[in-house]
Amino acid sequence: GKWKNKERVLIFSSRGINFRTRHLMQDLRTLMPHSKADTKMDRKDQLFVINEVCEMKNCNKCIFFEAKKKQDLYMWLSNTPQGPSAKFLVQNVHTLAELKMTGNCLRGSRPLLSFDPIFDKEPHYALLKELFIQIFSTPQYHPKSQPFVDHVFTFTVTDERIWFRNYQIIEEDASLVEIGPRFVLNLIKIFQGSFGGATLYENPHYRSPNMHRRLIRLSVAAKLREKQQVKEVQKMKKKGSKALIGEDPTEVVFETPAEEKPVEIQLVKPESKPIIKDKKKPRKIQRKKQKKLFRTE
Amino acid sequence: SDSESGSEDSSLSDSELQEAFSKGLLKPGLNVVLEERPKRRNDTDGLKLCLSEFKQQLAWVERLDVTLGQVVDPVAQSATSKDAVDPENDFQREMSFYRQAQAAVLEALPKLRKLQIPTRRPDDYFAEMAKSDQQMQKIRQKLKSKQEAMERSEKAKQLRAMRKYGKKVQTEILQRRQKEKKNMLNAVKKYQKGLSDKLDFLDEEQTSSQGNKKGSANQRIKKGPNAKRRYKNQKFGFGGKKKGSKWNTKESFNDVSSFRPKVAHNKGPGKGGKKALNKRPGKRARQKMKNRAR
Repeated sequence: GKWKNKERVLIFSSRGINFRTRHLMQDLRTLMPHSKADTKMDRKDQLFVINEVCEMKNCNKCIFFEAKKKQDLYMWLSNTPQGPSAKFLVQNVHTLAELKMTGNCLRGSRPLLSFDPIFDKEPHYALLKELFIQIFSTPQYHPKSQPFVDHVFTFTVTDERIWFRNYQIIEEDASLVEIGPRFVLNLIKIFQGSFGGATLYENPHYRSPNMHRRLIRLSVAAKLREKQQVKEVQKMKKKGSKALIGEDPTEVVFETPAEEKPVEIQLVKPESKPIIKDKKKPRKIQRKKQKKLFRTE
Repeated sequence: SDSESGSEDSSLSDSELQEAFSKGLLKPGLNVVLEERPKRRNDTDGLKLCLSEFKQQLAWVERLDVTLGQVVDPVAQSATSKDAVDPENDFQREMSFYRQAQAAVLEALPKLRKLQIPTRRPDDYFAEMAKSDQQMQKIRQKLKSKQEAMERSEKAKQLRAMRKYGKKVQTEILQRRQKEKKNMLNAVKKYQKGLSDKLDFLDEEQTSSQGNKKGSANQRIKKGPNAKRRYKNQKFGFGGKKKGSKWNTKESFNDVSSFRPKVAHNKGPGKGGKKALNKRPGKRARQKMKNRAR
């Protein structure tokens, strides 16, 4: 058959990504025969430069991985000339190479895409669903593709996030084994244009990782401060309130100072005490020795 | 905290506070009114418009997408519990994803078959796989080693259990043998003493001379030794003095299982009517009788 659906996806990343992200990118390139790779983009360039890069490579979709602070991974999915585009925070990345993922599939085989019914209920989810379908589904009769359909991508919405899984179809009765990779997408924003433009949707449940870390730190600090405060309060209680009472003159009336003793200066050294021999000393020493022996036994 | 008194808030002057109070904006306990910036944009119309522009009208065969809920699991919870899938519960979560994938596959396979798209790779079709053979080997090795480890631990557990059981059985057998030996010896001794002339214990053959010797003693069978002696024999076995073995020990002293209160307090069925008849009335009753007789 003729290859009509000309979708090409550019998959690349910024600098500063770690090994897991790099492997994830490579895995996606393996699974999607209609993808193209590109070199790392310098972060100094602004994001709309990506549109030009895509045009040069003749791609109309893009998956761009951005790593910040060597900790947080963001993923952009975009339809390059006009948009829309979406930015996600990626978490819980597991790659193809993990030994717990025991399934395997043909390289370049077409995937079946499975979506949660929630994707049809909200307009932003519907838009995301369309984006996922256009990006992740391999066009029919693509030259690098295999004509079989032997694996399925699932997109599920749980806990306000989108979970991605890839399963291999073993039997016709739908017994599945996971191939990998797997990741969790936390939607941040949907833009009308490609890597820019008006914000169409902002996820109210999203909390930036910086904010998250900050909150954790604040809570820990608050706990410490509370402990200190409690300690201080306890200290105050123990001391007791020392109320200042005014001087009572009647108290002092009957005070008579003691008679002053004459100062005696000793000129002669006092007699030393007589040394009394301790008759029981040898016995005491013996008993101590016995005790020691007994203990070491 | 936010609801501290307004005196700490230096940005508002007193006059402004007074004005606000007169207007009724200040409520007790709430002195700082925060205005959230208009975040959380949700431009539904814009989204729908964008979607309509962006959507491609392709045949299903190009997209291969299925939007479906999960396979209703007859074994586990009902469909209502799908909403209650606890994202923290890893197993439950992964099972829900699995079931969703299964549902999609079950729906899509007939469609694919109708469109004559193959889903199963024929055995002679060799093509490059997403994971290299080396990788698959590694995976297989890992699975095998895990299985072996599990089997080993199972075997060890079973061995331990069997050893315990074997030990128990062995001690039981030994005890039984000891008991039998003891009984046999007792029976032999009994016969030797002439208490029983039944040769119930099988392979004991007594010579006739020995039997004659005990003949005269046979007449004394009924009486035999004293009751006390018989009791002690039964409890401690036969034979002469064995260094105080027929005395009580602490355990046997504390063992009151053979205590029969009725017998002890003489409250059982009377030993024949004799005692009852011989019962002498008490002092008071005797006095009464005497007085009555007078």
